[in-house]
Amino acid sequence: MNDPSPVTGTSGHVATGVWRTARLIAGKDLRIERRSRVIVNQVLPFAALVMVLFAFALDNDDVLLRTAPGLVWLGTIFSLLILVQRSFAVESADGALDALRVAGVNPAGIFLGKSLALAVQLVVLEMLLVALAMVLYQAQLDAMGAVLLVTTIAPATTGLAFVGTLYGGLAAGARGRETLLPLLLFPVVAPVLIGATRATEAAFGAGSAAIDEGWPWVGVLLVFSALFGVGGTLAFGPLIEE
Amino acid sequence: MDHAGFIFASYIAAFGGSAGLAWYAIRRGRALGRQLPDEDKPWI
Amino acid sequence: MQSPAGTEAGTEAGTDGRTGNRTTDRHTNGNEDSAHVATTQTPPTASGSAHRAAGSARAGTGTRFTRVLGVLTIAALAVLALFALVLSPPDVVQGESVRILYAHVGTVWVAYLAFIVTAVASGAYLWKRTSSLTWDRIAGASAEIGVLFMAITLFTGSLWGRITWGTFWVWDARVTTTAFLFVTYVGYLAVRGLGGTHEQRARRSAVVALLAVLEIPLVHFSVRLWRSVHQDASVAGSTDVKLDDEMLFTLLLGTVAFTMMYVWYVLHRQRVLAMEDALDDKGLDLALAERRNEGLEARDMTEGTTR
Repeated sequence: MNDPSPVTGTSGHVATGVWRTARLIAGKDLRIERRSRVIVNQVLPFAALVMVLFAFALDNDDVLLRTAPGLVWLGTIFSLLILVQRSFAVESADGALDALRVAGVNPAGIFLGKSLALAVQLVVLEMLLVALAMVLYQAQLDAMGAVLLVTTIAPATTGLAFVGTLYGGLAAGARGRETLLPLLLFPVVAPVLIGATRATEAAFGAGSAAIDEGWPWVGVLLVFSALFGVGGTLAFGPLIEE
Repeated sequence: MDHAGFIFASYIAAFGGSAGLAWYAIRRGRALGRQLPDEDKPWI
Repeated sequence: MQSPAGTEAGTEAGTDGRTGNRTTDRHTNGNEDSAHVATTQTPPTASGSAHRAAGSARAGTGTRFTRVLGVLTIAALAVLALFALVLSPPDVVQGESVRILYAHVGTVWVAYLAFIVTAVASGAYLWKRTSSLTWDRIAGASAEIGVLFMAITLFTGSLWGRITWGTFWVWDARVTTTAFLFVTYVGYLAVRGLGGTHEQRARRSAVVALLAVLEIPLVHFSVRLWRSVHQDASVAGSTDVKLDDEMLFTLLLGTVAFTMMYVWYVLHRQRVLAMEDALDDKGLDLALAERRNEGLEARDMTEGTTR
């Protein structure tokens, strides 16, 4: 790596710049995943299993087709819990997160970096779930639908990544806190669930939704991501300070 | 009165909940107040 | 034996610097507490007349202001019950079920007020110029009563809805947002219970509260947009009531009475939280002092010297 040596700024933070810090940390998280393959081996199969269990529970092809968008995003959100826990589990070993902070790494950079890595993992997950919805539930996607779907996945994923990293940072750490993550996270991801599902309904043409109806929801998702991107960047530092 | 059951249930919930909370607040205040000297109580 | 540095002078009554007396005092106080409390507290009645003994100022969190406020609150709630259940007429359209609204509107107003106060107090704590743990305690106390009143709101609202619309629940923006606020604040209270120093607790929960301020409008907007597709927005419209003077008075009285209850509770509760924090701090000092004394005594015994 041709990184120049970092210079300490007056704020006390190592002045490598937020974006560069974020890239380094995202790279670290993704490298850990590439070597350990925990998500590929455990979380993706879990998500696939959830899609199968939905079919067992709903027991009706028409219902499955109609609800396919919702099931995709429900599966995503359930898996998000595990992904967030994993994201911070790699930090709690050897107190890595504390070491990062004590070393003066900008918490905004940590937040953005971990969000970026989480977003990459989420995109892979969502693509799997969409593919499974098409295979298991007979969902269909035409060209315009695919465009809408891709434009939906982008802000939805970043939104989920931001709130996941934010509340994950809070719930990580001391014993007895992990159970707090679902309680805190699920109310917050509700707008993403609503927005992404409605947009995906339009993309799949499920429930007689027209493609046009999806675009306002993409707007909602963009607003959500922007708000929590900024809010998370500001809040992450105070939240993980112990 | 029509729907008397629902109406009374609402008032029991609202008033009873308030009363329960008030009772809890007073009780906790008394229990702690006995353990602390007055200088720790800026409202006195 | 000297009092170890770091313990405040004059902590508990009867302390003369020796560990033995100190622990005895604490045990005695504890026993007194439970005995005393058990004999003087009467359980509340359904009409809201919580027993408020005229105990000495030192024992509890009351001041003259809160005592006066408390009496006025009980009076207001009693008058509310009288008007709401007896004196006011049934509604032309809704019939008797409008009586539920007199309580419901008051509790929903307080629930949202509590939410706003928690958010503002959290902001005040985080803002350096006004930072003080008192804000944190106000935020916590407000959230506690807010959670209870949101639960009451959802309960009374669903009973009213059952009568008026035939369903206990409806997926419109206001109802759904209230439910989300409830869950969010349950989470907030859980975050307050995570432990650590008072400052850590305060900072963590303040951030969570402000994030909730961000989240709740988003939820509300998303749900409203969602339900407008199903043309359910009109359901909320049917809460309009043709109010004659007595009904309007009762509604406003309900709002005022429950707001007084809210203020009374937050005042008391934040004082209790201040005492709990002080006790925490003292407990730590005391524990440290006792450990030091144990160490000194052990050394005395092994060296065979007396002090």
